[in-house]
Amino acid sequence: MGGNIPLGFTDTPLGSSREAADPKWVQWLLISIALTFLGLFLILPLVTVFVQAFEKGIAVYLEAITNPEALSAIKLTILVAMIAVPLNALFGIMAAWAITKFQFKGKNLLITLIDLPFAVSPVIAGLIFVLLFGSQGLFGKWLFANDIKIIFAVPGIVLATIFVTLPFIARELIPLMQAQGTSEEEASITLGAGGWKTFWYVTLPNIKWALLYGMILCNARAIGEFGAVSVVSGHIRGLTNTMPLHIEILYGEYQFAAAFAVASLMSLMAIFTLIIKSILEWHGKRQMSIENH
Amino acid sequence: MSIVINSVSKAFGTFQALEDINLEINTGELVALLGPSGSGKTSLLRIIAGLESADQGSIFFDSENITGITAKERKVGFVFQHYALFRHMTVFDNIAYGLKVRPRKVRPGKKDIQNKVHELLELVKLKDLSNRYPAQLSGGQRQRVALARALAVEPKVLLLDEPFGALDAKVRKELRRWLRRLHDEFQISSIFVTHDQEEALDVADKIVVMNQGKIEQIGTPEEVYENPQTPFVYDFLGSVNLFKGRLNNGKLTQGNVNLEIPDWAGSDNMEAVGYARPHDISICRESAGEGTVPAIISHIHLVGPIVQIELVRKGTNEYLEAEIPKEKYRKLGLNVGEEVFIKPKQLKIFTPEDFII
Repeated sequence: MGGNIPLGFTDTPLGSSREAADPKWVQWLLISIALTFLGLFLILPLVTVFVQAFEKGIAVYLEAITNPEALSAIKLTILVAMIAVPLNALFGIMAAWAITKFQFKGKNLLITLIDLPFAVSPVIAGLIFVLLFGSQGLFGKWLFANDIKIIFAVPGIVLATIFVTLPFIARELIPLMQAQGTSEEEASITLGAGGWKTFWYVTLPNIKWALLYGMILCNARAIGEFGAVSVVSGHIRGLTNTMPLHIEILYGEYQFAAAFAVASLMSLMAIFTLIIKSILEWHGKRQMSIENH
Repeated sequence: MSIVINSVSKAFGTFQALEDINLEINTGELVALLGPSGSGKTSLLRIIAGLESADQGSIFFDSENITGITAKERKVGFVFQHYALFRHMTVFDNIAYGLKVRPRKVRPGKKDIQNKVHELLELVKLKDLSNRYPAQLSGGQRQRVALARALAVEPKVLLLDEPFGALDAKVRKELRRWLRRLHDEFQISSIFVTHDQEEALDVADKIVVMNQGKIEQIGTPEEVYENPQTPFVYDFLGSVNLFKGRLNNGKLTQGNVNLEIPDWAGSDNMEAVGYARPHDISICRESAGEGTVPAIISHIHLVGPIVQIELVRKGTNEYLEAEIPKEKYRKLGLNVGEEVFIKPKQLKIFTPEDFII
């Protein structure tokens, strides 16, 4: 007789308790508020960018993104991202490895320092580099004497971008590596593998999805960074203008169609990044469910 | 390979994990490090593997001092508590790993690796699962993969950290018998850490009982069970009944109970505690004067051929436990709430200095 009781429970639909908790109209209200909000603050501006970009016709649009200054800005932006992302990936892996696999003094300080670029305004980040490498800066005289240009040149832009995007990859890796612990690495070492092989065969495959995810976030920020880059770039057209700076200049000169054309290109890059991010997330989750099932 | 541990100490901050450990393990022995959590048994195992370094002391494999040699070079097989299988590799790749990562000069060919892995898969009876991922295996299967992976590199020493801790009781028993056979077959020296005395008594050749970073006793299962040298060992290796009192001229006295302790005939009015296992307690209906202890039956467990009886000692309200054969139980016709008289057939006496750790 007692056996009937649990059997009776399994016949109840699983969703019933949820539906009972939230009445239908509450659900609809919440969903509509969220959607309205999204539409107003995200979709509408995005649509505006594209509408404005094509306002004066496709010819103006194409001219705006293919003129030499625009092309140079696009190239510089991609170059900066291509330098900053791998370097930050390297740094992020090393920092996460050090923090999660070893015990040492000052560990919490290191974690806090990694977050510093998130806390500091990008403009201040740019100013730091001007103070260090500018003509009146700490290393200014020496750099001038040796004819090395950092501020108002590409190296300055790269440095500022690296500074601003530094936390993305490390922040992505640290919690994951903490959760995974060190026992797989220890197993690898007792089986006779050295540090490098252990990293290559055991650690890296375990963190690859988080690493890629962090790199994509880092890349998105590297492409879009405005404040810090603006301070160190000097806005030299065709030389030290990145895409966000180029857009600002065009906008300042009332070339709205051209400004929005370049902006639309950046928006496309962002959307593309988001798509890759979602694919990676989906793939990563699937992988996790296989591995941790 | 024989292992010699020579006055090894280890501290984590202010916590003394190991204190002056001396231990010798002969070739081919299966040794259990037995103790409660925090007793230092896992630290000792990790120090032997080279995953942790000792603050003091040295470790020898055969006659070679390996204290300064890294875990990578020690060539021990280590089985982790939660298996630590490589989650992104199949069972096959997990087992092959130790062979694949060898330097090119000593690395076996692809075919040889394959043969070796299949041989091991056969041994651990996982031939059909070689393409599965660890997450797709049960606990017992993962454990066997972990063992096969450790054995692939043909270690002379096999170290196992709580090897059966996360498994259910039936699988546990099966696996430990299987480990015993495996150990005998491979002729290696094995050390396993456990907090389960039954497990240690069941499979080990030698048991090292540890407590608070020190070794309490080393001996065969019979020795440590039958003849515990410290109160801790007595307590840890099974249920125990305590009889406190004063020892005088071979008699342990408490109130109007006098228990005969012939071994301590020369004793002179000292505090002492008598230890007796439940199966060394006999129960009778009639009092035999001062040599028996009156008690009330509080509970009777009737499952199996041995009947477990819980009693409360009269006067002191101390809890006592006795185990008697079912036949004897039927003959006595015992019931809960009845008053009976118990007599320890054998008492092991510990005096206060035995308790100083």
